Amino acid sequence: MHPLDKPAVQFGLAVLTVAVLPLFLTSGILATEILIFAMVVAACNLLLGYTGLLSFGQGIFFGVGTYAAGICLTRWQVPVPLVLAGSAILGAAIATLVGWLSIRRQGVYFVMLTLAFSQLFYFMAYTFSGITGGDNGLLGVPRPSLGGAELNAPWSYYTYVAVCFLAIFAILVMVTQSTFGRTLIAIRENEGRAAAIGFPTRLFKIEAFAISGAVTAFGGALHAMLIGVAPLSNIEHHTSELILIMTIIGGSSSLFGSVLGAGFYLLLADALSAVWPRWLLLLGLVLVAVALFLQRGLWGLVERLYDAVLRREPSPTKPAEEH
Amino acid sequence: MIYLFQILNGIGLGMLYFLLAVGLSVIFGLLQFVNFAHGAFYLLGAYLTFDLTQRGFSFWAAMPMATLIVAGIAAAIEALLLHRIYKLPHTFHILVTVGLALVIQELVIIAWGPLGGSVPAPEGLQGVVIAGDFIYPQYRLFTIGFTAVLAGLLWWLLEGTRLGAIVRGGSESPSNMALLGYNTMRINTAVFGFGAGLAGLAGALAAPIRGVEPFMGVEALSVAFVVVVIGGMGSYTGALVAGLLVGIVQSVMTTVWPEGARLMIYLGMALVIATMPRGLLGRA
Repeated sequence: MHPLDKPAVQFGLAVLTVAVLPLFLTSGILATEILIFAMVVAACNLLLGYTGLLSFGQGIFFGVGTYAAGICLTRWQVPVPLVLAGSAILGAAIATLVGWLSIRRQGVYFVMLTLAFSQLFYFMAYTFSGITGGDNGLLGVPRPSLGGAELNAPWSYYTYVAVCFLAIFAILVMVTQSTFGRTLIAIRENEGRAAAIGFPTRLFKIEAFAISGAVTAFGGALHAMLIGVAPLSNIEHHTSELILIMTIIGGSSSLFGSVLGAGFYLLLADALSAVWPRWLLLLGLVLVAVALFLQRGLWGLVERLYDAVLRREPSPTKPAEEH
Repeated sequence: MIYLFQILNGIGLGMLYFLLAVGLSVIFGLLQFVNFAHGAFYLLGAYLTFDLTQRGFSFWAAMPMATLIVAGIAAAIEALLLHRIYKLPHTFHILVTVGLALVIQELVIIAWGPLGGSVPAPEGLQGVVIAGDFIYPQYRLFTIGFTAVLAGLLWWLLEGTRLGAIVRGGSESPSNMALLGYNTMRINTAVFGFGAGLAGLAGALAAPIRGVEPFMGVEALSVAFVVVVIGGMGSYTGALVAGLLVGIVQSVMTTVWPEGARLMIYLGMALVIATMPRGLLGRA
């Protein structure tokens, strides 16, 4: 294992991120958004990097969490911790359903199914506008309060999200280090063999989906409270695409790569969209470049830099030159 | 009567879905490559038709021109870029084609603006057909006839000609085709252009019916996926049956439950996958 992949180092980097973001960013909203997407992207990575499932449907769970928070907070004044827990449970339930149906097909069919399901849930939200607010979304989602104090200022809500982020990240690190996580890797590497040993591989995949869906919906709920709206766009195809793009750009070989992916994308989007409304054109080119030149993502780049600067001995993948 | 009207609409729509799905399927069959930019080629075909008719070309000239331009652009993209990534895992195929789709969509917005527009029905087909108390637009009737002829031609091309045999041979075993002296690189380029051209043609034909707008590509891509998932990738008959089914369901539901018409497509797909995981025809 690469030294940077050690669980303690991964978690340490996450803590560092939480501490460093306020020093560099003036916008508390942007910093909070980065943390929310960081956990959502890490959940996508649990599927892509650890289980080998490329899900084009993560926006479903994000949107479900967003609407759950929107409905509970604007109509029924449910306490926020309950809303977050409820979103996660609902996200897990829907992810179980979507996962159960999607893994009936493999490879590219699986990917196409997850994309089609993301359309299904989008049109559901669009059609049942009495519940979801349709195109307008649900307006006036309040921020949480803690011990009587409202967390309305961006940076105080940042702190709230940061605690959630670190807890979720720690859980995901533990999941990937557990026997369960190792089994997921075995399924990714060779599903036939994992099944032959006696692992119920389909059950494991569905469980991975459930965990991923729970975390994603949790993030969706936090996002609704951040922007004060539960918008239709959170359940759109575009959100699913966004989460997947962040995951691949960050690199799917480590959970912290996902934090890098989310941060890189959102900072780039923030900088470019202010300059040029058609910046997605540049993003398209970045995606092509990542596929051609940076297949292990930003995390791969970090690993290579670390090896070049800090490790004197030749890395084991490259044999020493013979004379 | 309204149902007959909607079923005819559905057949027209379904044949366009069929064209999209066959294009996707041909590309996948030969290149083992899911083209997420397929919807973007459909978008481009529609906008080129819009542009050319705005410039005063007749629809009859604009449609084939748009198709050929899309095919040419796609072939160039394959030759310059895509062939470099075939060996990578399919994550990167998806990443690159998603990237291409974004580039094409943004270029369309830069060139023609974000609002979209409409394309008039071509001259000679602007009227309606009247049979008793049944009235139907001529252009829609034309698309049904035209795509039916096209479907026949495609079947003959893929199953009955030497060209089709080469394409099918290439999808069975590229290395054997190379050993037999075929230039598989050039075949790949041609097939990618051909498949994307079919998407462009579907866009050109759809333009007078539904108009053009920059986000029509995403919807087309996901419908093509639904058709391919329930019909089976690489299956000509499957694409035809599933395409028509999806088109008819969508059109009939427009009458029964207008807001939920597109939702029904995806619910139908979920039902098919839950009961018949291998799709309608049980292949793949």
